[in-house]
Amino acid sequence: MTLLLEIENLTGGYKDTNVLFDISVKIGAGSLLGVLGRNGVGKTTFARLVQGGIKASHGDIRLDGQPILNKSAHARRRMGVGYMPQTAMVFDDLTVLENLSLYPNKKSLDYYFDRFPRLAERLNQPAGTMSGGERKILSFVRTMIEDTKLIILDEPTEGVQPENINLMADCLRERVAEGAAVFLCEQNLNLLSEVSDWFLGLDSGRVIMTESADTTNRDDLNAVLSL
Amino acid sequence: MSPVLLLNLAWQISTLALIALGLAIVFGKLRIMNMAHGEFVMIGAYAPVITSMLGLPGWLQLPVCLITVAFVAFVLERTIVRHLYGRMFDSLLATWGIAILLREIVELIFGRSYQSVSPPLSGTINVIGVDYPAYRIAVIIGIFLGFIGFSWWNTRSKMATRIKAMVGNPELAEAIGLNTARLSAGAFVFGCCTAGLAGLILAPTVRIEPMMGLDYLIRSFFALVVGGLGSLEGLGIGVSIIAGTQTFLGAVSSQTYGYLAVLTLSILFLWLKPNGIHSSSR
Repeated sequence: MTLLLEIENLTGGYKDTNVLFDISVKIGAGSLLGVLGRNGVGKTTFARLVQGGIKASHGDIRLDGQPILNKSAHARRRMGVGYMPQTAMVFDDLTVLENLSLYPNKKSLDYYFDRFPRLAERLNQPAGTMSGGERKILSFVRTMIEDTKLIILDEPTEGVQPENINLMADCLRERVAEGAAVFLCEQNLNLLSEVSDWFLGLDSGRVIMTESADTTNRDDLNAVLSL
Repeated sequence: MSPVLLLNLAWQISTLALIALGLAIVFGKLRIMNMAHGEFVMIGAYAPVITSMLGLPGWLQLPVCLITVAFVAFVLERTIVRHLYGRMFDSLLATWGIAILLREIVELIFGRSYQSVSPPLSGTINVIGVDYPAYRIAVIIGIFLGFIGFSWWNTRSKMATRIKAMVGNPELAEAIGLNTARLSAGAFVFGCCTAGLAGLILAPTVRIEPMMGLDYLIRSFFALVVGGLGSLEGLGIGVSIIAGTQTFLGAVSSQTYGYLAVLTLSILFLWLKPNGIHSSSR
């Protein structure tokens, strides 16, 4: 497995307040890291620090061996970092089709429309008029079709119907099989335990667990969420 | 309505539409209340004067206008305006200061006295039974065709969609790879260039002087208040009402009554319908 993302002693937060402290983790190409923890432990901050939406105060991040800590979010995207935010995840004023075609995509839209036909039915509808779950799916599909090697997903299944969560899991497995690394912040233990190769548990902005899926059972994961 | 009044109306509407378009882009897309917008009209109007002073051929007026306005707008965007995106009141104060600065600089270079230039197209054309200046007819047709082109670009082009994306959700726009700083700068410079272009077009028909931009700023602002922000339809409605009212009342009574009516209309709209007649986020 080729090493894709290396994070060393990453510390950061919002303005002068650090939320995350000394996080170190490595993700290989073709693997999925499940990041779990209760609300407010720093999962979103972690995702945004890696994606470039907020600046780190300390530490180092390397993508394919290249330092990216001082790169802007758009520069990181062009280096292959995809991101699905937890909130404000679509362009409300743009139609579904416009949301999915701002850039030339790596993967065919038809492939995803077969799985999520509601999107195909609503191509010309402004994304802001869709339900919360539909917007999550739209944002998820937008992230999946991009030409990226690291995919960061922040709570992608919040408000999504169970049958669609299963389809999302299939899509994730496929992207991982194609060689992408996935960084999945999630509270849905079913999804996490189904798709993750590694787990990273957070509490109060610090790493409290780093385990391979082979050596972790459901009770370990529950313990992290119930801390 | 007499044919001359009708043609004057078309002239007023088309030129005001071109000026207000830039203000609408900068205000609607970037949330910058650009009080220096009229000064870009003024700088554009000085382009023929600059070209003449430098002894350059007349066909260079357009490049001189666009390069000068784009340069000034770019420098201002990089140094001041970029720090004020989304801060409407701060941007209003800062651009008001910029407007004063630009007027003083132009006054230092060209003096306070009026300048005048001749139109590139002389003579008249017989339209709907009256002889009307050929230059004005060409401008009306040119702006009309320009708006059709801009409307097509606004609804079909990837760039316009990306600008809408950036305005609606700047953080996500960055996350999908849009360089929002560059897009914002481009939108600001483009908005200022349309004002400069309007100034160049108006130059042969008005007295060119450092204070000339203020009137255009006020009327453009009123047009946006009445029509609403965010759509070309709103812009068209606002411009038609403001320019129409002023031109009609100016013709049947006096310019003072025209201004009074426009001011009253704008106050009523700000009070009773602050989003204008046709406000849209798309």
